Amino acid sequence: MERQGKAQDEWIVGGHRFSSRLLMGTGKFQDAETMVGAVLASGTQIVTVALRRVGRIPQEDDMLGPLQQLKGITLMPNTSGARNASEAIRAARLGRELSGSPFVKVEIHPNPHHLMPDPIETFEAARILAAEGFVVMPYMPADPVLAKRLEDVGCASLMPLGSAIGSGHGLATAEMLRLILRHARIPVIVDAGLRSPSEAAAALEMGCDAVLVNSAVAASGDPIAMAAAFAQAVGAGRVAHRAGLMPRGGGTALATSPLTAFLSVEDA
Amino acid sequence: MKLTVNGEAYEAKQSVSVTALLEEMGIGGRAVVVVLNDEVIPFSSRRTCGLREGDRVDLFRLVGGG
Repeated sequence: MERQGKAQDEWIVGGHRFSSRLLMGTGKFQDAETMVGAVLASGTQIVTVALRRVGRIPQEDDMLGPLQQLKGITLMPNTSGARNASEAIRAARLGRELSGSPFVKVEIHPNPHHLMPDPIETFEAARILAAEGFVVMPYMPADPVLAKRLEDVGCASLMPLGSAIGSGHGLATAEMLRLILRHARIPVIVDAGLRSPSEAAAALEMGCDAVLVNSAVAASGDPIAMAAAFAQAVGAGRVAHRAGLMPRGGGTALATSPLTAFLSVEDA
Repeated sequence: MKLTVNGEAYEAKQSVSVTALLEEMGIGGRAVVVVLNDEVIPFSSRRTCGLREGDRVDLFRLVGGG
């Protein structure tokens, strides 16, 4: 009771305190209005944005304007489109100039087919950006060795993938995520691959500090409703983690009701 | 004045400053970051930052992304 009575179950990343454990991407939404509706419904406090060259003819809605009007939202520019560390560092600096936020999602995926993060370039970019004072949030392969190296160079969190970006294959890396969680001293956020709220709940039950979703919400049938569903799932998963799951049975059943013979004469 | 804007040739009519160029391009009111010859121009010095023939200007903004 006491535990549930505590109003806030906050987590801290890079010295910043958050209560929501759901991070949201802002890509793939039909329009800015739906995106803002989903962000509000999700209760998120950290949203990712991307950096692009300004076209002669604006083809996309301005995302920054509507987001900046929302209170309590931290912008986290990503470095998507960067193919190596130096491009990512450049994108991070531009993103900071535009957003005014120290947060950066380092995202370097040179292969457009699988979009797997490049561990070597990611490490190099993270090392330099952390030294420059960024709150570095690296999108990374679910590799516990790399996780430790990224932690050691000053990353604020680890963002291992659940499965390939936009694939909806869920927590395909679950065993590796458990290894990362066992040793991490900074927040672990599952980024990429989630499709359903139950997968987000499973990530939090496992002990992940948060999840980041985008396609799962934006490409769903009703993005605003789905954002709310993810918020509930993340909340449930977190409470379940803190409560502690029951031990698994050893291959035998354990009855939940007393196994007395209720049909015997004395009970009748 | 001939400039290269976002990798393409651009003939600036009478823009002598970064601010004037943005207004000429019709993006004056939007949140963009300006990179002039690989150097980020802080918002505060846009108005006074002059342009020269052959300058490379790159303009970026924030869009939706995951």
